[in-house]
Amino acid sequence: MTTLEADQLFKVFGRKPDDAVDRLRGGVDREVLRAEGTTAAVVDASFHVEPGEIFVVMGLSGSGKSTLLRMLNGLTRPTSGRVLFGGQNLTTLPDKELRAVRSRRISMVFQHFALFPHRSVLENAGYGLQVQQVPREERDRRAAEALRLVSLEGWEQSWPDELSGGMQQRVGLARALATDADLLLMDESFSALDPLIRREMQDQLLEIQHNLRKSIVFITHDLNEAMRLGDRIAVMRDGRIVQQGTPAEIVLAPADDYVAAFVEDVDRDRVLGRASQSAATTAGGTAMESADAEGSR
Amino acid sequence: MYRVPLGNWSEHVVSFLQNNVQPLFDAVTTVVNGMYNGVDWVLGKPEPLLLAAILAVVAFWLRGPLSGVLAFLGLALIDSLQLWTPAMQTLSQVIVASVITILLAVPLGIWSARSRWGNALLRPVLDLMQTMPAFVYLIPGIFFFGTGIVPAAIATIVFSMPPGVRMTDLGIRQVDGELVEAAEAFGTTPRNTLLRVQLPLALPTILAGLNQVIMLALSMVVISAMVGAPGLGQSIYTAISQVNVGMGVEGGTAVVILAMYLDRMTAALGERVSPLGRRALAKANSARGLSVLRYRPASAVAGIGVLVIALVAGGLNLAQDKGSDATPAASSSTDVGHGQSVNLGYINWDEDVASSYLWQDVLQQRGFKPNLQLMDVGALYASMAKGSTDFELDSWLPTTHASYWAQYQKDLVDLGSWYGPTSLEIAVPSYVTDVRTLADLKGKASEFGGKITGIEPGAGEMKLLQTKVLPGYGLDKDYQLTASSTASMLADLDRSVRSKTPIAVALWSPHWAYSKYHLTKLTDPQGLFGAGDRIHTLANKSFPGKFPQISQWLKSFRMAQSDLTDLENAVHAAGTGHEQQAVQSWLAKHPGLVDQLAPVPGGSPQDSGHGKTVTLGYFPWDEDIAASYLWDDLLTRRGYKVNLQQFDVGSMFTAMSNGQVDFELDGWLPHAQSQYWAKYHKDLVNLGAWYSPTSLEITVPSYVKDVHSLSDLAAHASEFGGRIIGIEPGTGEMSLVKSSVLPAYGLDKNFTLVAGSSPAMLADLERAYAKKQPIAVVLWSPHWAYSKYSLTKLADPKGAFGAHDQIDSLANKDFPQKFPQIAGWLKNFHLTEAQLGSLENDIQQAGQGNEAKAVQTWLAANPGVEDTLTPGT
Repeated sequence: MTTLEADQLFKVFGRKPDDAVDRLRGGVDREVLRAEGTTAAVVDASFHVEPGEIFVVMGLSGSGKSTLLRMLNGLTRPTSGRVLFGGQNLTTLPDKELRAVRSRRISMVFQHFALFPHRSVLENAGYGLQVQQVPREERDRRAAEALRLVSLEGWEQSWPDELSGGMQQRVGLARALATDADLLLMDESFSALDPLIRREMQDQLLEIQHNLRKSIVFITHDLNEAMRLGDRIAVMRDGRIVQQGTPAEIVLAPADDYVAAFVEDVDRDRVLGRASQSAATTAGGTAMESADAEGSR
Repeated sequence: MYRVPLGNWSEHVVSFLQNNVQPLFDAVTTVVNGMYNGVDWVLGKPEPLLLAAILAVVAFWLRGPLSGVLAFLGLALIDSLQLWTPAMQTLSQVIVASVITILLAVPLGIWSARSRWGNALLRPVLDLMQTMPAFVYLIPGIFFFGTGIVPAAIATIVFSMPPGVRMTDLGIRQVDGELVEAAEAFGTTPRNTLLRVQLPLALPTILAGLNQVIMLALSMVVISAMVGAPGLGQSIYTAISQVNVGMGVEGGTAVVILAMYLDRMTAALGERVSPLGRRALAKANSARGLSVLRYRPASAVAGIGVLVIALVAGGLNLAQDKGSDATPAASSSTDVGHGQSVNLGYINWDEDVASSYLWQDVLQQRGFKPNLQLMDVGALYASMAKGSTDFELDSWLPTTHASYWAQYQKDLVDLGSWYGPTSLEIAVPSYVTDVRTLADLKGKASEFGGKITGIEPGAGEMKLLQTKVLPGYGLDKDYQLTASSTASMLADLDRSVRSKTPIAVALWSPHWAYSKYHLTKLTDPQGLFGAGDRIHTLANKSFPGKFPQISQWLKSFRMAQSDLTDLENAVHAAGTGHEQQAVQSWLAKHPGLVDQLAPVPGGSPQDSGHGKTVTLGYFPWDEDIAASYLWDDLLTRRGYKVNLQQFDVGSMFTAMSNGQVDFELDGWLPHAQSQYWAKYHKDLVNLGAWYSPTSLEITVPSYVKDVHSLSDLAAHASEFGGRIIGIEPGTGEMSLVKSSVLPAYGLDKNFTLVAGSSPAMLADLERAYAKKQPIAVVLWSPHWAYSKYSLTKLADPKGAFGAHDQIDSLANKDFPQKFPQIAGWLKNFHLTEAQLGSLENDIQQAGQGNEAKAVQTWLAANPGVEDTLTPGT
């Protein structure tokens, strides 16, 4: 199991990005840069994600959370800063090795599922394995296993457009799980689903995580979802991480008015229930944690 | 405002490309031709109905049983219209052009989709390709690719490529960005992202592009016909120019059937080939439930069906081939062509169709493989200048085709006229009773709507009307000459005749309109239309060298009006597609005509030498080399075997007197060679002078303005650097100049006579001439320098150079008995200074060792000389 560490990540779009990073470090506001036509999407983001942990990045749209996520697997190259994963610095990795890391160790689930419409459910689930050039038989076996994990057995030969939204996203999840990657990046993965289905999916994710214990970075703009899923939460605003902590910390001690306004309507009892469980997790006992998890439901 | 010489630049580019990139063009030509021949062989070989069945099975596979049946019916209709062969040629052309287009368009589209640069670069190029009128590059295309299928295919590719590129670009850009990101997130390489995600998802759009490409390719068939590409375009093009509505509709229908077939099939291909299409099809079928009408056989079943029919077709063909092996060819005695193929181009004018099919048949009978190509006039000339068409029979000169002749003259040779005179005229229907002459038109403008209906704007007749005839009769104010096309002029005429309304049209004779309608040719009392064209046979300039026999035949080809109209009627009556049979039955009614048109050597009046050997001696002097190689060529053509031997003066006279040499052509008499003549004349005979007078002189370039006579020279010594450039020191002329000419004019003080050699003198002259410097040289006439440069022979008022010689043909005294025919020819032999000068110059340009070739080129450029010098018996 490996730790993911983001170290002072900056992403600036536009002219003279390096200059802009220096000025941001020197305290220049990002609105000043925007007036010059340069967009600072992510400013000085640092955090780490431990094995088996769900790390939720929460923020409104335009807060830079999607850009941050894409820097973690190198789809977007940071302007400055480092991403360390399993002892490797992904930022300086050549394209070819970076692709190898993406194919074997980091997988991704998308907001609008991004299933390939010209491939069957089974072929979609096995896509990552195909990229790894796993032989067909093993690929199909592992893809079918991943589909079983998301309770889609029996749908292998169907086409994506024959499935409901929730089922499609389960295929997306299966595709991400099939490669057996250590790190799962989930980009607003449940936002496009109906509330009921979303709830179901969240439960399923927690259950899977309970069994597989991946590192998960989960992006959302929905605070309830963040509270429900996150072992730790980072709140983003205008490209900066304004607060990091357990759900309880966020709710009980918001770092500023912005976060406070955000957490105002949260069901505190639920959060605090989860929070005690999180505290237990960090404290250590696996058995106790699982019992608590059951209890909290 | 400054005139941007864009036209000049493009002509330079074209000629640069022609000179430097031709091997590439040749390679392209070979590849495209090969592809076309392959595809056409496959499509043209099977029985029409069997191939129709195969195509119907493909339709069944792609779209279901109803489409299969309709496809078969449509294709059978093409066969029944007797358009199957041209339809398959068109189909082959479309297939070849589309395949090449797609092979180029898809990569370009991918490039355009993935690279901002590619997109920026391609967009204007595609706009240009799509909007630049095809005619603009069609004619230059002939320079590069010859005529026929290749320039047509290239033009088609250029025209149909843009939608292919654009749809590929669009298809790839349309692929959901999240899908591409998903592929990347799983570590897919860019190449695999393209192959596994972008292309499969873009495939329906790309196939829609292919569909567009094919449709545009089909729309080019008529334009293709104008550069001689075979296929349906040819019959449509013919129909247009003959205003043959029925034929046009038949050809057009065949094109439409092909278009619908190709359109529906490529559209359906998307459902069969692309995964998304298959998916959509399955969904639609499951929604509607399967029915017989929607049943489509599995690919394997369809494949087997095609294979079975193909095997049957193959079997039938084998059987047929055995039967057709017995086709009679030229019998060995008349087979002078030995299967050599010769390209005969023709335009859509009745007399040309008739005469071209006539010659096709004649040449076939003589063992040639004539290849008939129908073309647009401009294309025909361009193609002939390039050499991809060898000759054609329908040039109206000097007026109608004057502009083409002027442009391509240097690459063509006129083999003489075979019909004439023709006439150009303005004609009105004869129910317009009060107009008989051009002058009568005046004041009746309102009757004719102020309009004279003309033909193609580039035609010579139009120019003549505009600049001479109309102003001459004062008609240019009241009448407007409308330019359109021959076809629309005839259509206009037809409409007016039907409604009995007055119309005046630009017409010419012979023309079938005169037999179809009652027309009055307006007389031309002032004779402004001129003497009338004659119909000439033109050929590429290398043609007489490559096909001496055919050139010979064509030169003596003549046709009387009665014969021509008779033949035209026969061809016209038989209808399109049956010209050859018409000509054959017409020839059968005119026995002996083939032998008259194309006499076979052996029985030929041209071969009067029967291989007899004649020895011709010559001196290595320019005029003698020219004359001797000329006679070498002429006598060889007449069946003699010429033995050419070089001598110096003394040994020549000896050899000739004892009969070792039969004759020579360079006797400078009565002066220069008088001593030899005196010594040997009793064994020799003088056949007369063929050139006179010769002269010796001092010459200056004509840009030296104020020196015209030897007496002018003294005052200009410093201008000439005090030098007169001489030749070899021992020659008679040098001693003459030194001892009598210079002293006579008082030049011996101011001028030095520089002795050197003739080549050095000529080199000096060339250098000075190029720099426009004054120079005076010792020269003599005849000399090729006079035709190469503009020179002034300095007058010799004091007669210091002495009397003039003439050049005689001398022969052994037995020669007139042994070779009466040659002796007769030589007695009448005469060349002008211009003729001899240009011949010497040609030989000089061709360089040593190429004398014979130079003579052939010169003869070809001077048609008629041969017949004048060596007339048949």
